[in-house]
Amino acid sequence: MGQPGCPTAGPRPRPCGIALFLLALIPLTVASSAKSPLGRDDERFDEELVVRPLSGDHVNTYFQFTTRWHFGHKDNLYHTQLTPRVIAELLQQFDVKELHIGLTQGLWRYETWGYPIVEATSGAEMWAWFSGDNNLTDSEVNSQWSQLANVFSGVLCASLNFVDKTNSISPRHLLRPQFMPAANRKNFVRYSALPREIVCTENLTPWKKLLPCGSASGFASLLNSGHVHNTKYHSLGLKVRTLCEDNSEDNCIVELTQTANLVYDLRLFEQSSSSSSNGDFSLRRLFGMGLNGYCELAESSKMYVQRNEQGERYQLVPPPSPENEEVRSTRGGHTAIYGVYDMHEQFKDHGERLFNVAWLAPKSENRRRNMVKPTPPPLTVHRYLLGHGQERGRIATEITNSHYDALPILVQEVIPWYVHGYLHTLSVRKKPQRVNEYGRQRIPFKLLHYKPGKQRELPSHLEIGFLLPGQTSALITIDVDYLLLKWLEYPPDANHGHYIGSALVSSQLPMGRNYTALPVEGYLFRDSFNATRPSYVLSLHTEALIVSLPTPDFSMPYNVICLACTVVALAFGPIHSVATKMIIVGKPTTTTPKNFIKKLLNKVFRRGGQPAAEGAGKGAGTGAGDGEESREGAAGDAPPGESELPGTGHLDDQPLLEDLEEND
Amino acid sequence: MITKLPIILAAMFGCCLAATQPAQDTRVLPEGFVDAAQRSTHTNNWAVLVDASRFWFNYRHVANVLSIYRSVKRLGIPDSQIILMIADDMACNARNPRPGQVYNNANQHINVYGDDVEVDYRGYEVTVENFVRLLTGRTQNGTARSKKLLSDAGSNVLIYLTGHGGDGFLKFQDSEEITSQELADGIQQMWEKKRYNELFFMVDTCQAASLYEKFTSPNVLAVASSLVGEDSLSHHVDPSIGVYMIDRYTYYALEFLEKVQPFSKRTIGEFLQVCPKRVCISTVGVRKDLYRRDPHKVPITDFFGAIRPTRVSTDRINVTLANEDDFITTDELVVMKPFKIVIEPQFPTEFFK
Repeated sequence: MGQPGCPTAGPRPRPCGIALFLLALIPLTVASSAKSPLGRDDERFDEELVVRPLSGDHVNTYFQFTTRWHFGHKDNLYHTQLTPRVIAELLQQFDVKELHIGLTQGLWRYETWGYPIVEATSGAEMWAWFSGDNNLTDSEVNSQWSQLANVFSGVLCASLNFVDKTNSISPRHLLRPQFMPAANRKNFVRYSALPREIVCTENLTPWKKLLPCGSASGFASLLNSGHVHNTKYHSLGLKVRTLCEDNSEDNCIVELTQTANLVYDLRLFEQSSSSSSNGDFSLRRLFGMGLNGYCELAESSKMYVQRNEQGERYQLVPPPSPENEEVRSTRGGHTAIYGVYDMHEQFKDHGERLFNVAWLAPKSENRRRNMVKPTPPPLTVHRYLLGHGQERGRIATEITNSHYDALPILVQEVIPWYVHGYLHTLSVRKKPQRVNEYGRQRIPFKLLHYKPGKQRELPSHLEIGFLLPGQTSALITIDVDYLLLKWLEYPPDANHGHYIGSALVSSQLPMGRNYTALPVEGYLFRDSFNATRPSYVLSLHTEALIVSLPTPDFSMPYNVICLACTVVALAFGPIHSVATKMIIVGKPTTTTPKNFIKKLLNKVFRRGGQPAAEGAGKGAGTGAGDGEESREGAAGDAPPGESELPGTGHLDDQPLLEDLEEND
Repeated sequence: MITKLPIILAAMFGCCLAATQPAQDTRVLPEGFVDAAQRSTHTNNWAVLVDASRFWFNYRHVANVLSIYRSVKRLGIPDSQIILMIADDMACNARNPRPGQVYNNANQHINVYGDDVEVDYRGYEVTVENFVRLLTGRTQNGTARSKKLLSDAGSNVLIYLTGHGGDGFLKFQDSEEITSQELADGIQQMWEKKRYNELFFMVDTCQAASLYEKFTSPNVLAVASSLVGEDSLSHHVDPSIGVYMIDRYTYYALEFLEKVQPFSKRTIGEFLQVCPKRVCISTVGVRKDLYRRDPHKVPITDFFGAIRPTRVSTDRINVTLANEDDFITTDELVVMKPFKIVIEPQFPTEFFK
């Protein structure tokens, strides 16, 4: 076989033979590596779906797709299997060690929803850690950073290519690396946020293409654009991190975690459907279709459904898998119960069908009263603008600690270059939670890092740390000026306003209430079960702000031009006539009739008979001259150019006014 | 003179022979298709689709460009060879009652946005500079591959523009405009750099014909929704969103394209007559003088699809195999040694002691 394809009697018969041998070999080796546990341990893909009913008739669905590849040496990155090639190429091309990208629409409500599993801010957010040998310089990292942003602008169809040095900072304390920095290597971090960025289907499509199964099967098949964008909050996340053994570059793991965090508002579903469903929902209602199976490449494919707190009142149809029906996770004194659906079990013996789970709420009339009141999270943040006008303002960030003990707080602010902050006005005031007004009491800084911005070049970067006492709110304010932009710096929709990205707040909680984030060393959602630690690092985002910068109003120059021209014209006429005309005193020619009626008739006919062109042509100059000559005291009813009487200076204005009236 | 004549005759005869020779190889295919396909000289297809206007009331322009996007994608041009520029977000706009969906019709017949759209340039990225850079291949260093027009001398390129235009210009985002001269220069540069084989230029805007007037480059076929001095009109309004849905010309163009299948025999000539004045109200302008083929013999898939002229060969073909080193060596499968993961503390507690 295969002989016609071979070069016949060529000078190199050997390659063909070897190729044939290899061709025969490859299917064998592939099959054996798929079977052997060794090959499988190197790379694995897991898909997880978490459904958590939230208070206020909201449902949080969290998808996590994790690819973990123990690739060993860097050279192995050339042969990817489950990990997308772009991620492997990334690690070859750049010195990037860790990368986070979030694309989010909507605002996560901490007060009612608790803390999300992954944090994100509205718009696009991106940060990366670079780690290289001692030759790596800051400017090299800058260029790598912008190239990295460009790569992902193409990969995710987002405008991440707008990430450059004008909106990037190097966080000092707040963003910590998720690896162990080695002593002999230099580490750099870059952070940037684009709050204006919108998130739509064009971002979801390429995001799904990075998955091993694409959107063909598994949980990703539930992510249909119409149902994803119908939510109150949706956030796509992408996290890449590299973990190496003892800083040696020969034994490494690359982890790609793709997350989709959605919050559905059930009341919207009730409005859209005709029958009152009493707060029931199902996978089919949330995503438009049932689940068609699991991704065949996935090591595990599990759905976790929260059964306590807001999920307690629902009855599940069908109930979770009989074996290990419930997972009871106690973490930092906080217990969560999850029902587990293993998709490998569900689709084991059934043929073609769609899997659906329904959440049935109790059929009582006053179900809103029956709902469990949410336990407020220990730390909440808000941000707003103070001041009025387009010249200056004040950015206020409010942090409320409802825990009984003091919490360490770190705040990172990135103030864009078109807003100019004043460090001396920075203050952190506090008030007990029950009191409404902030007093003069200040909180001392534990740490303060400030890097002033530069117009059109660098954003201001501020990091502060302080200890917030229990049951207390802190108000961080800083006065700012808004810059007047140059003509071409205004975006096409300047009326929309300019964004100030959200502040990042980090803290360390002593207990796990409301805390759902994955432990830093774990990579699956199930790693957060029973993951009790001495403390839990929390990171929150405030709201982003919109400022309306002073926008030039082009009706203003227009008005100025009109007014200036009028004034010049008014002034030019008399000056010109005074400067150019000679006043001759002469005898009046007595053509004016003495009779009053004749005088009137004469006037009427003379006026009517006057050609229009003459009136128009009579500019300010000559008109004024004529009028001046024709005046007879204040009466001024004689036709111009007939009487020649000495004009007097104080009458100069009047005839001019008359002329103007005629022209109208 | 006399001695030369037979040579010329022979040369002509030879030409005829050469022209008839390939037709015999592919007798099995339908003759009409073969006739047309043999004339197609391209090897790949690219599409540059631009919506240049921002703001919600220009919903129709986004629907226009997505209609063409939908058609070229359906007819086989892959997303990697479609450069889609949309100046504003309509699908996920807060004013859109149907998030993630853009329709061409108030009856919601076709969701032109689809489920798997990929927008390459969006929002503020849609500028004249980026458009000209894209056409001429002078993109900035580090531009992502999906944002580049990587066409070559064998590419048939479809350029579709829509937005608000005037005599000799097209507005981009209400803040800048591209002139017909700039456009002609860009296309001339494309030709000089061998970035296209044939180019189909389509524009749906007011006074659209003014945009192709300055073209001088060869192999360009241009169609415009209106002549100079005419307005292009929108088709109908959807009261549920309060704005016009789509422009007339593109509406009828989509109606035509929806009936085209990848192997259909529709021609560009038919496509040029898609919107007579009675339905379009404006006069569709066509410029054919730069184009050497008869549009009635050019299959529409030459520009809207990715059908390549293929020739079946029964001859033996020599294929050089790659060197041994290029094959993946499977014997290097080493067992990775598991290790303990150590991660730096995630909070700088040292400041709070």
